[in-house]
Amino acid sequence: MTRLLRAGLVTGLSLTLVSAEPSAVRGTDAAASEGVGELAGSAPRSGAPAETTRPVSRAADFERPGRHAFYWTRGAYSDGGGGWGWGRRNAWATDYPKSDIQFVTVLQRLVRLDVFQEENAVRLDDPILRHFPVLYMVEVGYMDLGDSEVEALRGFLDSGGFLIVDDFWGAREWAVFEDNITRVLPDKPIVDLPLEHPVFSVFYDIDEVKQVPARGRGVRGRPTTQCRGCEATVRGIFDDDGRLMVIINWNTDLGDAWEWAEDPYYPLEYSTYAYQMGANMIVYAMSH
Amino acid sequence: MSSLFELLFKYRPLVFEQGDFTFAAPGNVRVMVLVAALLAIGAIGTYALVRGRSTPTERGVMAGLRVGLVGLVVFALLQPTLVVSTVVPQQNFLGVLIDDSRSMALADADGSPRSDFVTTQLSAGEGTLVDALSERFVLRYFRFSDVARRVGSPAELGYAGPRTDLATALDAARQELSGVPLSGLVVVTDGADTGDRPITEALVPLQAGRIPVFTVGLGEEVIRPDIEVGRVELPRAILAGSTVLVDVMVTQHGMGRSSVPLIVEDDRRILSEESIELGPDGEPVVARVSFQLEEPGPHRVRFRIPPQEGERVDRNNAREVLVEVRGEREKILYFEGEPRFEVKFTRRAVEEDENLQLVVLQRTADSKFLRLAVSDSTELQYGFPTSREELYRYRALVLGSVEASHFTFDQLAMIADFVSERGGGLLFLGGRDAFAEGGWAGTPVEAVMPVVLDQPTGGADGFFSEVSVGPTPAGLAHPTVQLDAPIEDVADRWSALPPLTIVNRLTRTKPGATTLLTGASPDLTPDQVVLAFQRYGRGKAAALTVQDSWLWQMHADVPVEDQSHEAFWQQMLRWLVDGVPTPVAATVARERVDPSSSVRISAAIADSTYIEVNDASVTARVTTPTGAIEEIPLGWTVERDGDYAAELRPVEEGDYEVEIIAERDGVPMGSSRTYFRAGPGDDEFFGAGRRTAFLERIATETGGRSYTPATVASLPEDIAVTGAGVTLVEERDLWDMPALFLLILLLMGAEWGFRRIRGLV
Repeated sequence: MTRLLRAGLVTGLSLTLVSAEPSAVRGTDAAASEGVGELAGSAPRSGAPAETTRPVSRAADFERPGRHAFYWTRGAYSDGGGGWGWGRRNAWATDYPKSDIQFVTVLQRLVRLDVFQEENAVRLDDPILRHFPVLYMVEVGYMDLGDSEVEALRGFLDSGGFLIVDDFWGAREWAVFEDNITRVLPDKPIVDLPLEHPVFSVFYDIDEVKQVPARGRGVRGRPTTQCRGCEATVRGIFDDDGRLMVIINWNTDLGDAWEWAEDPYYPLEYSTYAYQMGANMIVYAMSH
Repeated sequence: MSSLFELLFKYRPLVFEQGDFTFAAPGNVRVMVLVAALLAIGAIGTYALVRGRSTPTERGVMAGLRVGLVGLVVFALLQPTLVVSTVVPQQNFLGVLIDDSRSMALADADGSPRSDFVTTQLSAGEGTLVDALSERFVLRYFRFSDVARRVGSPAELGYAGPRTDLATALDAARQELSGVPLSGLVVVTDGADTGDRPITEALVPLQAGRIPVFTVGLGEEVIRPDIEVGRVELPRAILAGSTVLVDVMVTQHGMGRSSVPLIVEDDRRILSEESIELGPDGEPVVARVSFQLEEPGPHRVRFRIPPQEGERVDRNNAREVLVEVRGEREKILYFEGEPRFEVKFTRRAVEEDENLQLVVLQRTADSKFLRLAVSDSTELQYGFPTSREELYRYRALVLGSVEASHFTFDQLAMIADFVSERGGGLLFLGGRDAFAEGGWAGTPVEAVMPVVLDQPTGGADGFFSEVSVGPTPAGLAHPTVQLDAPIEDVADRWSALPPLTIVNRLTRTKPGATTLLTGASPDLTPDQVVLAFQRYGRGKAAALTVQDSWLWQMHADVPVEDQSHEAFWQQMLRWLVDGVPTPVAATVARERVDPSSSVRISAAIADSTYIEVNDASVTARVTTPTGAIEEIPLGWTVERDGDYAAELRPVEEGDYEVEIIAERDGVPMGSSRTYFRAGPGDDEFFGAGRRTAFLERIATETGGRSYTPATVASLPEDIAVTGAGVTLVEERDLWDMPALFLLILLLMGAEWGFRRIRGLV
């Protein structure tokens, strides 16, 4: 039920944000832009994604990228309805944009960082993505990347980009993600990141990987997990020189904690961990 | 011309220059002049009274001619005389210095070597120069090349000297003959001086002692056909793998404007080879070559053009330079005031460079720092260094986007001293807290910056613009902007790179600074200074005013395999640490030393804060070509603080290694290596043409004269009237000068002719 509510909210929010028209990016009547926020309904496995309206970088619309040192950038990918039968529209936009805006607001307080104080969603195959070397992607259990997206994401990572993956649960979603990321980075193993890895100590000292629950879970003794037996895990993919280029937060939902941190019912323990982990990942990605 | 003068005026011009003019007639000169005036008046009166058919003009001309004639006769009657001081025969010494260097064996166009003059004119025999000289002087012979030495006769010369050191030769001869009456020094040479000392040092004491020097210049001024490789400047030490960019000057005479190969090689392999177009006759062309040296240790880099057909001298076709390739890992401190992608991508760009250790200190929150690539857990544990000792451990410093107010005043002064006193390299990066935007104007560090800080522009949001970056002509010749591309492709590589952004508007450089990169944008006039540098004290400072060079790596237009970003940063940081001094620095005066001569080993010794010390114990551990080790103590020279020196005379031919080891109170201060080769070099074959102007300068400044083999016959007589030593005063008559009689006859004939023409006879 919670998931359905959240999906509804996110869809509504995202519809206001994903128009190709700059004027429709924010503060536009959702009804007026209804339908324009959809990604290609079923992104084909071969060829480019269908030519439908996609989100564009806010940085590209309001200003030229580069005015700020850091843009918290969300990757908009093709998803749903494909061969896996678990199709879902706008999975990339889960928790968007509130989660992103709250995250950059708090990040600015925690880290001495010149952050662009807005959300910034970018299509994977938009060349402007290369102006934002840190990319955040959620609900990757629903992704179904087109060939152009695979190429673009590979180029992004090979050039030095850093991908943060979050908010996907269970073996099935893992399999979907693994299938897609293997197309992007074939022959690159996915490995568990031990707590000794610098990403856990580069800014805050984190000595435990916590399962950050979605809103409504984890309170008053309720379980934090969304699937039976799912344990929070942080994994990574390294390049040929041993540098971490993808960090995968599986069976956890940092984005929800950022989004609902101000909710008095949301456990402080998890929102604190989520912000600490977020700050660490950003500082690490900007220095390693 | 000189002989015609002598025919008309009886003596050569030099005698007139040296002598004092006087009249030798007995009686009062004024009376004689009065008599002449009366005679002239009489002559004028005669023409005035006896008019005949003549006009006043005709009478005036004739009277004038008559007066002139009377004047000349009276002048002759006054017995004009030159009073000259001449040397007393056989009472004076004359030093004859003969060039014994290898360039004297060079053949002139007629096929005979320059030394032929010595054989024919300075060997005993009737009618030779030495014969004429020895009639008047007691001769003392000296041979000179790198050193000067007395010889019994010119027959002892072998023309195998490795250098021509005229200053040393003049000093030696002057000192040797200081106790005897000396009329002067005769220097027989081609003038191709290859000594280290300026000639002025030797001329000043000669001027003070009034010892004239007479030079006899041998050989042709220009040797043709010939190609010569000019002097090549290379740093003495570079970091392994650094790109070396060298300008090689090549001059041709009489070879025509053809192309020739220029080969750069070391002892192991050919480093570079390219074809260069020769310039017009006598005009040098500059060939730019780039290469890399990988293996640490001394490298003898040779720049050569293979001998061309018909060349008269081929030993001036190659230059050799000794370069020490350093294999050390140079430590650079990069201080960034906030997380920025420049840190990540700069680190990645240089992480494969084994010779650079980029230590990062990044402020991640107020009073919170991230340290990366530090050597141990204590390094930078309290943030930016607070003592000179701590800061001076680094060879270069990179300051990112960090406001000046983050530092204490002492730290700011320390940063400036890091460049001026320690001799380190400092690079300023663009950013929202850099340059004027970071409040750096008015700080001690502002003077170090190569750019002029104007008031920040752009209002509350600050200045922001996108610029396309391109190299200036100076940049194309600088190693920092080569992008690891072939020289001819560098400009194209830059034009293919994506634009970057700037938040600091900088358009002017300081006087003496060099701009290497500029940024252009349709909205900006003038262009942005993107990369500029200047020397500051012992070190250098550069400003890279863009804030996102990482886009040269990340931008969608840049292929993943493109190495421009990596190459730029590696070359930038390598250049920044190149030439940065160490507390102990060793040097030798010459890279190539003749086995018979000595070489000066010097060391500059400073403590860890780069203050020179004079009480260190300094030893040179010299390893000879055969592996023998000799230890030589170096003493403080007293001339300069921290300057130690010793002389070494190599006995073996080959490569020597000199390791300077310094300690103070038993505590090691450091060590440094340098190298030299003992053996004959080819210095004598460069610029081997006769240097007439140089020889004339030596003669003129000392009161002597300059000659060639064609004019040398008058040398003995010239020395007799100009030389110093024991002299006597001699009066030489001028009344019987042929010119005087010719003039009298001319005036008489003119008057007679005038009358005939006018019909007044």
